[in-house]
Amino acid sequence: MSVSTKHQPPSNNFGPQGDSGNPRFGSRWLGPLALLGPAGVWLIFLLVLPTLVIFEISLVPNIKPGGIVNPSGLDNYFLAFQGVYIMVVLRSLFLAIGSTLLCLLLGFPVAYWLAILAPQRWRNLMLMSFILPLWTSSLLRSYAWITILRPTGVLNSVLGFVGLPGLELLNRPPAVLIGMTYSFLPYMVLILYSSLEKLDRQLLEASADLGATPPETFWKVTVPQALPGIAAGSLLVFITSLGDFVDPELLGGASSGTAARLIYDRFLGQTQNWGFGAALSMLLIMAVSIAIALLLKYGDRDAQP
Amino acid sequence: MTLSSCGWTLADVRTTVQTASDVLYIYTWAGYTDRDLLNKFQQETGIRVIADVFSSNEEMLAKLQAGAGGAYSIIYPSDYMVIKMKELGLLTELDRDRLVGLDQLFPQFESPSYDTDNRYSLPVSWGTTGLIFNKEQLKPAPEDWNYLWDNQGQIYKRATLLNDAREVMGATLRMLGYSYNSTNPKEIQEAYEWLAELKPAISAFTSDAWRSQIVTGDLKIAMGYSFDANEVMEESPDLQYVLPKSGSSLWTDTLVIPSTAPNLEAAYAWMNFMLDPEIAASLCKRLGFAISSQAGFELLPPEIKDNPTLFPSEVALEKSQGLIPIPEVADLYDRYWTRLTSA
Amino acid sequence: MRDTARDSQPKNTIVTPLEEEIPTDMSNSKARFPLSWQAIFTGALFLFMYLPILVLMFYSFNQSAYSAGWEGFTLEWYRRLFADDRIGKALFNSVKVAGLAVAVSAVLGTLMAVGLSRYEFRGKKLYQGISYLPLIIPDIAISVATLVFLAAVGISLSIWTIVAAHIVFCLAYIALAVSTRLADLDSNLEEAALDLGATPVEAFLKVLLPQLMPGIASGCLIAFVLSMDDLLISSFTAGAGATTLPMEIFSRIRTGVKPDVNALSVILIGASGILAFVAENLRYRSEQQ
Repeated sequence: MSVSTKHQPPSNNFGPQGDSGNPRFGSRWLGPLALLGPAGVWLIFLLVLPTLVIFEISLVPNIKPGGIVNPSGLDNYFLAFQGVYIMVVLRSLFLAIGSTLLCLLLGFPVAYWLAILAPQRWRNLMLMSFILPLWTSSLLRSYAWITILRPTGVLNSVLGFVGLPGLELLNRPPAVLIGMTYSFLPYMVLILYSSLEKLDRQLLEASADLGATPPETFWKVTVPQALPGIAAGSLLVFITSLGDFVDPELLGGASSGTAARLIYDRFLGQTQNWGFGAALSMLLIMAVSIAIALLLKYGDRDAQP
Repeated sequence: MTLSSCGWTLADVRTTVQTASDVLYIYTWAGYTDRDLLNKFQQETGIRVIADVFSSNEEMLAKLQAGAGGAYSIIYPSDYMVIKMKELGLLTELDRDRLVGLDQLFPQFESPSYDTDNRYSLPVSWGTTGLIFNKEQLKPAPEDWNYLWDNQGQIYKRATLLNDAREVMGATLRMLGYSYNSTNPKEIQEAYEWLAELKPAISAFTSDAWRSQIVTGDLKIAMGYSFDANEVMEESPDLQYVLPKSGSSLWTDTLVIPSTAPNLEAAYAWMNFMLDPEIAASLCKRLGFAISSQAGFELLPPEIKDNPTLFPSEVALEKSQGLIPIPEVADLYDRYWTRLTSA
Repeated sequence: MRDTARDSQPKNTIVTPLEEEIPTDMSNSKARFPLSWQAIFTGALFLFMYLPILVLMFYSFNQSAYSAGWEGFTLEWYRRLFADDRIGKALFNSVKVAGLAVAVSAVLGTLMAVGLSRYEFRGKKLYQGISYLPLIIPDIAISVATLVFLAAVGISLSIWTIVAAHIVFCLAYIALAVSTRLADLDSNLEEAALDLGATPVEAFLKVLLPQLMPGIASGCLIAFVLSMDDLLISSFTAGAGATTLPMEIFSRIRTGVKPDVNALSVILIGASGILAFVAENLRYRSEQQ
């Protein structure tokens, strides 16, 4: 396995050239081994091997516990793009993209206000209190939305009180979007804030002095500078909501089957099929990796125009 | 390393985990134990009970097979799961000499169809699957499964079905006049097509989350177990349970001792404790489930004895049947179920 | 281009306009009126963020278990909650899991971060990539992989398997926090210690470690909170008697017909609010130094 190369003494690119590799560290391999060995062993046993095992299982069609693992092909992967499963995959993507856009749309003005317009001495405190709900149980926060969105719940009581017709949201996709947006908005704001905070204000003023209207300044100066933050925040929200299990499970009802729920059901639910579940997991991992790769590619381009 | 390329067995059943002799681990459904029960058992036997809960038979089996089961000495599978676990060699044959009170069970539990002579399991609770509805909102009252199809407009997104392939497919099969345990692919497909038509009106497939939603009035009707129906009916006078006319499933939850049980003494002590008529009666009163002990039933006050939700009449039960495993069409059920729930 | 322009500015010219800007921001609010909708918008979103929490709080004191309206004040749900020892047991399990996982990860993660910053070797990119993988792979995939692996090698599930699985992601968060801190550090200090005759271990413990402490602490805090909040990985890897708090809450949310969950939420929110406040205070102070 290629990972284990780190246990071998790195031939010659380590030592004097190494960052601060110190010759006094006795034999050359003792230091790296002591520092990187324990975590490496842990990761091999609880991350690398498990991923290889589910990859192997994913090659066995229709395997359940007690079955014989005898890899036979990519059938499980093809299955994921057939009939009803393609709908599940598309629905997961739709919900993930939808909540990413919502988070961006809602999060940007907040981050902008907090980072640029708010009185400076309050900025930190206000940012902290905005993300404070992150510290509480994510399950209970999603659960609270049931109370709010159910047909006779808080939202409809308020709407009824002001004379508006009620909304049917719970157990439908909009409820999942609301739940995901709520759950991941603080991450978006946090990342956008740290990117907007570094904004070069002189450029903003220069732009205004040169006669640009505020919208022009916003689109031509602010947004380009915040682009790395926008990309990072969107990516984070996208991958987290793509793998989210709790919000679809609690708020989604009968018509919001997502990849995460499907995988859960293949292992602990009604229709057990570990092979197919493993294949779906691998696909999820691949989707997330592709998203990261795209960010790295385009992120780099932004950094060096 | 098990990672050789040719054929290793996925998730063999694990060996026993050592546990202290005065601790009993049980794996049960939510709602079958409470603190009073566990305290009483500890007072009588000195054994401390740690109860973990599962939410479906399949979840329980999967966790067991994945290696979570080594510490449990008592598990609460349902009837059809007893058969499956027996076939997988997961159960210990019960030593009848160590059990007191087997003769005090209802006659129908002396030799149930899922486990002849109770060789591997002890029935502890039983009931039916039916419809719980809000009688203020639904008039006339539903009487049979076909109500769901005939009144789709009225119950639109105000109805839930169980998150259980066999129960939901079975109820539909029964409505169409077939067996709950049908193995005929044509009948199964027909049932699926009916369900696919009902699907848009269904708010969720859930075995438990319907309970709070129906009490608050957010649901008009839900498919559920009589045990749960009885519990929610205590919370709201508007709710009523109906055992569908065309028949439904008759389920039994049992006590079994897994073959890896580390603490047989405690397991038998627990079984005998549950067989005790006094205990059974107190459980029925406090936790509200139908007990299998006739001696316990006799100790109940008349209003519970006459509760048709918990103890339906013989006549009402005539058309109901128990679920049995049907491995030859299990994949077919899985496929249709996935199509139904994921679409 | 932009970067060089900014960097070439003498420092004070960046700071002064910033400080002058604040009063203009506030006094010239009329001139900037077109932008002040953001303040209102932010206010609305603050409400959005706190609405669920307020709702849970409201219902935890409501007499009626089911009605959406207010039916009178009661502490009944709190009483019931405290009479329920399953919650206590689950909380204990969660703290045990999170505490142990964070303690192990703090050691492994710190060593790893220091090792990665100090040495160059073949496969370093791979090692780095793998160690940060848990930050991006969805929980469900990690859970499934761990379950299948443990089942394949025949390890019985227990509370220790949850700890082992949690270490994987705690490690990543702590290592990340420590490397961020390492990047800001002055590596000469440790070398000076070595030159003055300290052994590498002494230099590590007495010079490097104290400097890394803020990073380790903030990493541990994040890891602890995430471990306490994890549902999926725990559900898949828990053995007998190892029900954690999120597992218990999940089961209650689905099965519970009583609003004692609301009361539990309020208590947990209060506790984590205090924790967050303390943590932020500590962070703030360490930044001031």
